[in-house]
Amino acid sequence: MHAQEFLWARVDGLGRNIADAFAYTLRVFLMVYLSLRAAIYDQSQGLRTVLGVIGSQIYFTGWQAMPLITVLAFATGGIIILQSSLQLSLLGGASMLGNLLIVVIVREVGPLVTALIVIARSGTAVASEIGNMRVNREIEALESMGINPLSYIVFPRIVGGVVSVLCLAFFFNVIALTGGFLVTRVIHDMTFQFFAASLAEAMTLEDVGLFFLKNGFSGLIIFVVACHQGLLVQQSSHEVPQVTTKAVVNAIIYVTGFNLTITTLFYLNQILRLGLL
Amino acid sequence: MHEILFRGQEKVALIESVRFEGLTFAYDLERPVFDNLTFEVPMGLNLYITGTGGSGLSTFLKLLGVIIQPQKGRVVMNGKDTSTMSFEEFLPYRSKIGYSFDFGGLFANRTLHDNLILPLLYHKVCSENEAHEQARSLAVEFGFERQAQQRPALVSGGLRKLICVLRAFIMHPQMMVMDDPFTGIGMDASRKVVRMIQERRETGGLKHVFLTSRDEVWPHWLGCDSLFIEQGKPRLEERKGAA
Repeated sequence: MHAQEFLWARVDGLGRNIADAFAYTLRVFLMVYLSLRAAIYDQSQGLRTVLGVIGSQIYFTGWQAMPLITVLAFATGGIIILQSSLQLSLLGGASMLGNLLIVVIVREVGPLVTALIVIARSGTAVASEIGNMRVNREIEALESMGINPLSYIVFPRIVGGVVSVLCLAFFFNVIALTGGFLVTRVIHDMTFQFFAASLAEAMTLEDVGLFFLKNGFSGLIIFVVACHQGLLVQQSSHEVPQVTTKAVVNAIIYVTGFNLTITTLFYLNQILRLGLL
Repeated sequence: MHEILFRGQEKVALIESVRFEGLTFAYDLERPVFDNLTFEVPMGLNLYITGTGGSGLSTFLKLLGVIIQPQKGRVVMNGKDTSTMSFEEFLPYRSKIGYSFDFGGLFANRTLHDNLILPLLYHKVCSENEAHEQARSLAVEFGFERQAQQRPALVSGGLRKLICVLRAFIMHPQMMVMDDPFTGIGMDASRKVVRMIQERRETGGLKHVFLTSRDEVWPHWLGCDSLFIEQGKPRLEERKGAA
């Protein structure tokens, strides 16, 4: 009897967690809608104000992250190209290098590493910034002045975040591929023409679609979650680090979950097309 | 007064009435600040909200200024339920309410001058030059010209509060809701704020004033009526002094 009760309590707990996660996800997506609606309906907010905040967000999230992205992309690209070209040469499949790089770097590693860097640098910054604004009553002050925080604070950060992540991911791919090639040149005798032709042949329209889907979603979800968590602060500054940590954890879960889902669906689709399933 | 309307809304000429209907508000659900309160807020007065510490004075002002919404019940303004209005629908009312906080409320990444002109520029109430001129003249009148280009973190708490009070005035509201506006801003600035309230009342722009104050001198100077809040129940008391 005791074991049965214990089991039911666990099932109850699991059910509650799933329901909570579902409700949280709904709230997060509701915020996307509300901030978009607020931005459209806000007749006072000038384009100059929005562009100013978007510009600042792109500068902080995109431009200032470039040195870190460069180092990581260079190292990641180098490691992957070194390992894969060696293995492919041993198997006699050197001509498949382009395919492998597109699959590994452009489709999988690029979106994930870029998202993780943006979460660590900018997701935390936005969550703590908005959390501190709540504590300092800046959000209430905005409302009291007839300025909608969703259009003034949230919307420009989301747009700036999405643009930044897309640009950073593109930058990551370029550095990872070309930088990786340069590393390989030191060890292997591979011409740039061969490398470029291999990549060009492997690149498809689906890869471009996946690039925008994965990175666009990452940009959106990181900044919506960060803004949502920041706005959850009630009245005390001790809540700020708590919501910031939660923003990081939740954003990582959403990003990795989405990437995994999309990759799974993509490969299932490919298998179906090849008639293997 | 500048009208801020949302998509063909009717103009709100005057805030005529505010009524709390069955209102319950709690920070801690087991100890509500207001429990099922129904109350017609006296309008057209200088009203000094007073009571024992922790009796919900700031909360009362926030509900009155529709900065927060109750968990149960509603705040009804001019017969309309504010809880069912969107942010944009409430804007015509909002633009007629000036609200100053007991602490905080200034933007940390803007100078005092920029904090003052934010609502003017955002709502395009006047040109940029006029907004800057208004802020400069306030700085001269209240004696903070030298600190006007500083950010809030670099000036005294009293000056921060003064800027918050002045920013609430800058949109020429019809209803002022001020949470302890005089504490820390100094005698001279307090006198000037009192004079500003009196002048705005004389010109007819300012219709309703609601304030809390640690020092009873200023409500007395303003000739405030008192609203005493005890155990979540407000009651109107005798006049504090002559205007």
